[in-house]
Amino acid sequence: MNSLTPTEFLNLVNQTLDYSYSSTVIVGEVASFKVNQGKWVFFDIKDAESSVNCFMTLWSLRQPIEDGMKVMVRGVPKITKWGKFSFTVTSISPVGEGSLKKAYEMLKKKLTAEGLFDIGKKRPLPKDITSLGIISSTGAAGYADFIKIINARWGGIHAQVAHTQVQGMDAADQIIRALKYFNEHGEVQVIAILRGGGSADDLACFNDEALVREIAASKIPVITGIGHEIDESLADLAADVRASTPSNAAELLTPDRSEMSAKLSHTINRTEQLLLQEISRATTQNHDKLNNLSRSLLTDYIAPAISQNRQTINRVSGALLTRYIEPLRQSNHHKMTQILQKIQGECNLAQQNISNKLRTLEALNPEKVLKQGYAILSGKISPGNVVKITTFKESITAEIKQVHTRK
Amino acid sequence: MAEKLSLNQKIAKLDTEVEWFYSDDFKLEDATDRYKAAVKLAKEIENDLNSLKNEIEVLTEDFSK
Repeated sequence: MNSLTPTEFLNLVNQTLDYSYSSTVIVGEVASFKVNQGKWVFFDIKDAESSVNCFMTLWSLRQPIEDGMKVMVRGVPKITKWGKFSFTVTSISPVGEGSLKKAYEMLKKKLTAEGLFDIGKKRPLPKDITSLGIISSTGAAGYADFIKIINARWGGIHAQVAHTQVQGMDAADQIIRALKYFNEHGEVQVIAILRGGGSADDLACFNDEALVREIAASKIPVITGIGHEIDESLADLAADVRASTPSNAAELLTPDRSEMSAKLSHTINRTEQLLLQEISRATTQNHDKLNNLSRSLLTDYIAPAISQNRQTINRVSGALLTRYIEPLRQSNHHKMTQILQKIQGECNLAQQNISNKLRTLEALNPEKVLKQGYAILSGKISPGNVVKITTFKESITAEIKQVHTRK
Repeated sequence: MAEKLSLNQKIAKLDTEVEWFYSDDFKLEDATDRYKAAVKLAKEIENDLNSLKNEIEVLTEDFSK
C-alpha cells in the first residue's frame, strides 16, 4: 500500500472536495465576522445546529457584511495545511429583506461619503439619440416593454444589446463586463441598464459595490430602469438618470413621434396665423397711406387749383348759361305755352257742349210742365177704372165715369 | 445634388425657419415663399417620423465569462 505525506494527503482530499463540491452555495447567518490585515476576511456561517468556518479575500467582498446578517455564500470547501476545515468563499451576498436593507444602508452611507452619488456629477442624456447600448436579459419582460415602447415612440436608433443576467450572484459581474465593453468600444451615446420588477433578493445585484462603482465611473452616460417606482437601488443612485421602470427609461430616452407630429402641426398653424396677421397689418397700413395720400392731394393740389381758376370757371359757366342753357329754356317755355293754350281751347269747347245739353234736358223736365198747371194721368182709361192723377202739388186717385173721343 | 439631412437636422432646420418669422429679419415680401418651404419641410419630417425604424442588434459577446 502506498503511503502519503500529510501534504500529499491534504492535496488529495482537497482535489476530491473541489471535484465533489465545486461552486457549493450555503445560506446561513454570519457570526464572528472580522477582517485581518486589511486583506483577509474570516467569519462563520451557521444555523441552529452547525457552523462552518469561512475565508475570503477582502476584494471579493462586494457588499457590507456584519454579524447577524443572513447571507448566501458560494465557494469551495478546503482543508488547510494545518488540517483545519475551511470554506473558501468566492462570492457572498445578503439574503432576506432585513439583511439586504442593512447592507444597502451601510453601502449607501459609505458611497455617499465618497461622493459617488453627487448630483453635480450627473450628466444629462443626449437629446438626439441615434446609438444606444442596452444591458439587460433579452428574455425579461422589462426588456420587451422597453423595446416595444421605444419602437412605438421613435425611430432611427441603432441599439446594441448586451445580454446579461439581471439577477443572481453572477449578474453584477456580467453587467460590469457589459459596461466595460460599451465604454471600451465607444460606439453608443448612452447606456441603459434595464430590469423589470422583482423581489428584494432579485434586485440585490444592483446594490453590488463593484457594479455601483463601475456605473459611476462610466465615460458614457448611464440611465437605469430597474424594478418599479418604489425600488431604489444603489445602481440607480450612481446612474446619471434614474427611470422608475424600463418603460419609463424608453420614454426618457426618446421623444414621442405622435407628440412631435402634433407639435409640427401646431408650429405650422402658428406660423400661418402670424403670416396672415402680418398681411392684414400691411393691408391696413397701405389703405391708410392711400387715404392720407388722397387727402393730401385734395388739400395741397386740387383745392388750390380750383381756387386759382375760380374766375375762369365762372366765366366759362356764364358763357355756357347764356349761349346754351337760356335759349334752351326759352324754347321750351314757348312750346309749353302753345300746349297749354291748345288744352284750354279744348276744355272751353267741351264746357259749351255740356251747357247746351243741360238746357235741352231742363226743357224736357216733367216737373216744369206740372208747374205750368198741367196734370199727368196714369192707369187704364176705361169707364169704371181707377186712375192716378199727378199735379204739381197733389197726387189724386179718381174713378173714370165716361170716356169721350176728342174731335 | 441636394444635401440629405437627418431627421434631427430637418427638425433643427424647421426651427430656424420658423424663428425667422418672429425675428427682425422678417420681410413680408419673402414670407410666403419661406412659409411654403416650412410647410414642405414639415411634411418631410412627418413622413420621416412615420417611416423611421430602430435597428436592434443583440451582441454576440459572452458576458458570463
